[in-house]
Amino acid sequence: MSPWIGDFFEYDFLMYALFGTLFLSITCGIISPLIIARKNAFMGAAISHSTLLGLAISLSLFHTVQALPIFISTLIITVFLTLFLAYSTFRQKIPSDSMIGIFYTATMALGIIIHTLFAKDKGDLLSFLFGNILLLTREDLYLSMFVLVVTALGILWPMKKWLFLTYDEEGAITSGIKASLFHYAFFILLSFLIVTSIKLAGTILVETLLLVPGFFALKFAKNSKQTFLYSIIFSTVFASLGIVLANAFGLPSGATLAVVLFAGLVVSLFLKKVYNLIRLR
Amino acid sequence: MSEIILRAEKISFTYDQDLVQGPLTPVLKDISFTLKKGESLGVLGPNGGGKSTLMKIIAGLLKPSSGQIFFNEIPVQDYTNYPFNFFSYVPQNSELNTILPVKVEEFLDFSVSLYKIKNKNLIDDLLKMVGVFEKKSSLLSTLSGGEKQRVLIARAMINNPRLLLLDEPTKGLDSKGQDQLLSLIEMIKTKNQTAVMIVDHNINQIIKSCHNILCLNKQHHWHDHRDFLTKDILEDIYHCEFEHLLIHEKDLELNKDQHHHDGHQFCDHDHSEREINSTNHPFIRRKK
Repeated sequence: MSPWIGDFFEYDFLMYALFGTLFLSITCGIISPLIIARKNAFMGAAISHSTLLGLAISLSLFHTVQALPIFISTLIITVFLTLFLAYSTFRQKIPSDSMIGIFYTATMALGIIIHTLFAKDKGDLLSFLFGNILLLTREDLYLSMFVLVVTALGILWPMKKWLFLTYDEEGAITSGIKASLFHYAFFILLSFLIVTSIKLAGTILVETLLLVPGFFALKFAKNSKQTFLYSIIFSTVFASLGIVLANAFGLPSGATLAVVLFAGLVVSLFLKKVYNLIRLR
Repeated sequence: MSEIILRAEKISFTYDQDLVQGPLTPVLKDISFTLKKGESLGVLGPNGGGKSTLMKIIAGLLKPSSGQIFFNEIPVQDYTNYPFNFFSYVPQNSELNTILPVKVEEFLDFSVSLYKIKNKNLIDDLLKMVGVFEKKSSLLSTLSGGEKQRVLIARAMINNPRLLLLDEPTKGLDSKGQDQLLSLIEMIKTKNQTAVMIVDHNINQIIKSCHNILCLNKQHHWHDHRDFLTKDILEDIYHCEFEHLLIHEKDLELNKDQHHHDGHQFCDHDHSEREINSTNHPFIRRKK
């Protein structure tokens, strides 16, 4: 067996990383087209950056090995911050990007200060900024599985309502869909996903997982079902490839995932262009 | 006497302070009107006059600062939830977010699933009715403005509403497209006895096709049967002079000498103070 793959069977943390990546990439594939279509790309970045404040507080309160308490505490703080952001941006006339920009720089800065003051000896913040698969535990695997199930139920089950709201929000509201409920649910799901992905991809690079699959799918799909299917397939294939390459070359997982996904997108778009040129001749 | 489908009583609206720069000024003030079954109400007025805001208030998208709305003579607050089943709202097609690739039939299916309608032929029948059946499998984003508007109207008819709220349906269409769309709306109104409230900039067409007219410019409004609309009223609402306006193929100038008979709707509140203060709006008539 190739050492690239063999390592994943030999070391537990690599197996957790591989399956964790698989579950999280499917989740990101499901939610990614909606993030782009709902024009929430910047909101995703804001949530992921604000997790740093939650992490800094959680690391001050718990020991680094206490994965579950750190996760729960970070999640609660991030959900609270996200709900505030969601409330401030729901059907408002002021452009939401300015509010989001102010919010995420402030929370990130506060996170860095809290970490420096109270948790400097409890883990390297860089690991959380850019991801480190060495931090992954069995609990993280279960959590990523849980997030996948919750997201699949929350997005795929009422899919037509999500699409209706995304395509024609006012039409959907006047047809009886509770837009505010979906708005808040979307951001709670997003914060669940981002907090779970921190160790794998990092707070900064998790944005790649959230955006690239959806962007790819929207460039190639011909209808809404295809969009979600392509997004899930792209996300799963390239994220798994990224984690294998990260291990093979000893690279940081978050950065490798980001580069592999981006490369996959660029190559796909290039091939599409070439195909179109050949077809036109 | 035909039943009253929609009644608005002294609707006022002011945006929250944090949404606008400067002091709070009401966008709408004491707007009252009624709409009966099978009739149509055309809402005219300049850009920024509050037409779409009024439409959104009726549709439940905005809450009025004061005043009451009655659907079927029942105040909205007496309904457990806002009575979305009672009407259909057709937003401006420019407000559609076409990033996701959605086919016409998929788009209509969102509503069919939402209302749990079992009729499998409903989508085909509605698309045939609005004349875009051949576009059933096309992406909505690839349709022309007129075709998109027709699809939106088809979507609005899925729950067979008693009231149709149309926000600038002819926006961006050429004159032929505007005529065709308004004919379609007229056909729906006649066939289903649906009451129609329509906001539009096509003054001639609105006067021609709507029984009642609501002229609206922020805090000032006029509401009555189209036969009593005069050129002066429109010029006061739009703050400009019109050269060529027709109603029933006769010049609006001829309406000047028309006398009102009892039973027409007036603003039933006292405008006397405002009329003294703003003499350039003499069109608002007081109830005798």
